[in-house]
Amino acid sequence: MGKVIACYKWVPDEADIKINSDHTIDLSKAKWKISDYDKNAIEAAVQAAQVLEGKAVSLTFGGANAKSSLKDALSRGPDEACWINSDLASEADGFVTATVLAAAVRKMEDVSLVICAEGASDTYARQITPRLGAELDWPVITSVSNISINGNTIRAERQLDDCIQTVEAELPAVISVLPEVNDAPLPSLKAVIAASKKPVTELGDKDLGITDLTSKTRVQSQKAYVMIRKNIIFTEGDALDQVKELVGNLKKEGIL
Amino acid sequence: MAGIYIYSDKGPLAAELVGFAKTTGKAVNIVTFDQNSAASAAEYGADKVYLLAGDSLLVENNARAAAKFLMNEEAELFLVGSTPRGRDIAARIAGYLQCAMVSDVSSIVINDGQVSTERMIYGGAVIQSEMIDGMAVLTIPPGKFEAASGTAEIATVNINADSRVSLITTAPIVKKGVDISAADKIVCIGLGMEKKQDMQIAQDLAQVLGAEISCTRGIAEERQWLPQYIGISGETVKPSLYLSMGVSGQVQHVVGMREAQIIVGIDINDKAPIFDAADYGIVGDMFEIVPLLIQEIKNI
Repeated sequence: MGKVIACYKWVPDEADIKINSDHTIDLSKAKWKISDYDKNAIEAAVQAAQVLEGKAVSLTFGGANAKSSLKDALSRGPDEACWINSDLASEADGFVTATVLAAAVRKMEDVSLVICAEGASDTYARQITPRLGAELDWPVITSVSNISINGNTIRAERQLDDCIQTVEAELPAVISVLPEVNDAPLPSLKAVIAASKKPVTELGDKDLGITDLTSKTRVQSQKAYVMIRKNIIFTEGDALDQVKELVGNLKKEGIL
Repeated sequence: MAGIYIYSDKGPLAAELVGFAKTTGKAVNIVTFDQNSAASAAEYGADKVYLLAGDSLLVENNARAAAKFLMNEEAELFLVGSTPRGRDIAARIAGYLQCAMVSDVSSIVINDGQVSTERMIYGGAVIQSEMIDGMAVLTIPPGKFEAASGTAEIATVNINADSRVSLITTAPIVKKGVDISAADKIVCIGLGMEKKQDMQIAQDLAQVLGAEISCTRGIAEERQWLPQYIGISGETVKPSLYLSMGVSGQVQHVVGMREAQIIVGIDINDKAPIFDAADYGIVGDMFEIVPLLIQEIKNI
């Protein structure tokens, strides 16, 4: 029975981003985490592997610090973990990431299903699932809110902006799940302990036999979004005076 | 032929992308996959409309054939409306073409064949600028450009759609609650409001303002008082007035409302980030401030 792969990204927690006075950003104090929605992808892969009576494998493409993610991922239920350890990950665009993940999937053999989240909590570009499907030339189903697998057929419900579609494909396939597909539970203590005994495969990008891993887009800058607002806080007088000031200003603005 | 190619499953958005593409002076072509869309697109001011005629009920199934078409035509840029279908087919085409793609761009500049883009990352806290040489696929949300109009000829190209994913059923979406994305005024409640029955004062304020009520993610997801919330993974709103009560103003929330014309914050904590995002603010107890505010508005 085939493997079910859950792809995830190890990302800095956006709540820990510091903005410097020159509007550059500082991630040096940030804690890292499995991208929020990827936890649902991992849970979906664990459930699908049970139905398919195969193994669930977590797969990540990350630099040296992604090593800390492996136990976290495994404590969420996969049988094995695979880590493509490469410095290229930090500057990878959608092309590089999808190429690396596709090569890793090909190398694993006997893969029935690849499950990703729609997007990562840092970049939220939502490219990887369709790009990975195209790289592998496998059928792709995105925006999935419900999965059922029967034999070698996957049936999925897709939540689009204007309707809900039910679609079907034969495996192997690549799908992306929405967070509402399941409630990714917090790992139990027992699962955390069991995670350290599960097998981990570590590969470098050189082990994948890919010739071109140059990003097609070049990041020029990352700057804090600056909001320009009036920032007028009414502090004079008592609460009634402040409310009167507010109402007066809203009238002047033509809002009231 | 070379030039810019455009696709959106939402017609008006395709017209907006044409509006941008025409400013570059390049040939502007719209790609469609069915007869009706082609007929509508012929009025969006493009130079040419291509009907890639396959036989699939799923737009995304045309990705492989559309990638081949764009390659044969030597397309320089493929602009796609950022909707669920648009994002899917755009990224699949970028995958088949192994070319650059930037998602949900907020600005595009084309200079000497180089494309520069800006987009939001980290939930809207950070703007990332990128540069691309060569063919690029960009997805673009609605509302960025003025729609163009004008008549174009339609050319039909027969293609073979991918049939490996098949459509079984289509069901309508059951919308929960009012559509706050179209509201002109919004009263927003945050976790500073502790009891559900306290929503009454928000409702009273909304009534005198003629506003809709919305909330932050915590109120919708943790407390489940309202079905929809404003924020990065929730709704994006552009009201003339956004007025918050007990909203601290985390960036993930602010992203959803920062295009409001006027932002007012009422919160007990004078250090709350909502005051950095607001035009007007009052630091104080909402149960003291809001009843006074309701009375003052009634007195107008």
